[in-house]
Amino acid sequence: MELDLPIIQIRNCLLVSIQTELHDQLALNLQASLMERVRNVGALGIILDVSAVEIIDSYITRILNDIGKSVRYMGAECYIVGIRPAVAMTLIEMGVELDAVNTALNLDLALEKLELLQQ
Amino acid sequence: MKTVESEIGAILTGAISAITQRSIFNRLGGLASLPIAQLTAQDRLSVMRELENSIRLFARTNSAELIAACSRVLSSGGPAAAAEPGSFSKKLAIELEKDIATARLEAWSEAVRIGLSKFSSVKVATAVSELARNIIFYAGKGTVELRSIKDERGASLQIVASDQGPGIEPSRLDEIWSGTYKSQRGMGKGLAAVKKLVDEFQLDTGPGRGTTVTCLFRGER
Repeated sequence: MELDLPIIQIRNCLLVSIQTELHDQLALNLQASLMERVRNVGALGIILDVSAVEIIDSYITRILNDIGKSVRYMGAECYIVGIRPAVAMTLIEMGVELDAVNTALNLDLALEKLELLQQ
Repeated sequence: MKTVESEIGAILTGAISAITQRSIFNRLGGLASLPIAQLTAQDRLSVMRELENSIRLFARTNSAELIAACSRVLSSGGPAAAAEPGSFSKKLAIELEKDIATARLEAWSEAVRIGLSKFSSVKVATAVSELARNIIFYAGKGTVELRSIKDERGASLQIVASDQGPGIEPSRLDEIWSGTYKSQRGMGKGLAAVKKLVDEFQLDTGPGRGTTVTCLFRGER
């Protein structure tokens, strides 16, 4: 089973494109390696691209919130990009909140917002 | 003539490259060139099995919709298809974490197949995901059964998630419904979330009794 997702660095942002099922171990590994990379490269932003994720349930939400919280403790902001309309509506209906992360429509806009933050 | 290759190829074009399609049809062997109307029920099953695997592997998005579209095309025409009943039922074993993804995808394909809207189908898949995850987290193993009914009054999909796990204590249940329950691994909101998503919800649980959740999604009229 795949145990690590590739983390791409763009300037001082870290980008992860989530294309696969986030199971327990993968999520924990992702969280740990993101925190490690934030520290090593002094990243100010983390961007998680979920545009290929067709279903986000409360468990995935918990994972995303946890990642958001942990990198925030280290001074970085987490952006979730590419949430699909049906996914957003389902989350609202379920009463589940993605409150520890920021969101942007796409990668471009997330990078723009992160750049503004740094000025 | 409408062959498996011509009709399925039309669906896959745009989502899967021509080269990959070629290899999929090669794996289907002689079935690929048969007219859809001549397929037996057994043929349709083998074709669908191959297509489902390949689509999940190679199509980057909308795999559930593609699978459902293929299934629709394959069951159109042919005397065997006309005899198929309007109801469908499938029981899935939930024993490993990967079974959650399988159940979710099966539920989604079925929702799309019976004509639920795109949004409702995502809700169905999300609810099944929550229920299957609860089975893995709290009971270790169990089953998810999908039953769909399509008649002149419209389509509906029933989901029955059942396990022989420890069951839920009444006091814990109060916490779950009030939203104060915190779980170790998840948000503790799965069951309450499912209840909000579905049109009908029924829960049978208690210490030593296991847990059975029955819920129903109705299609839009």
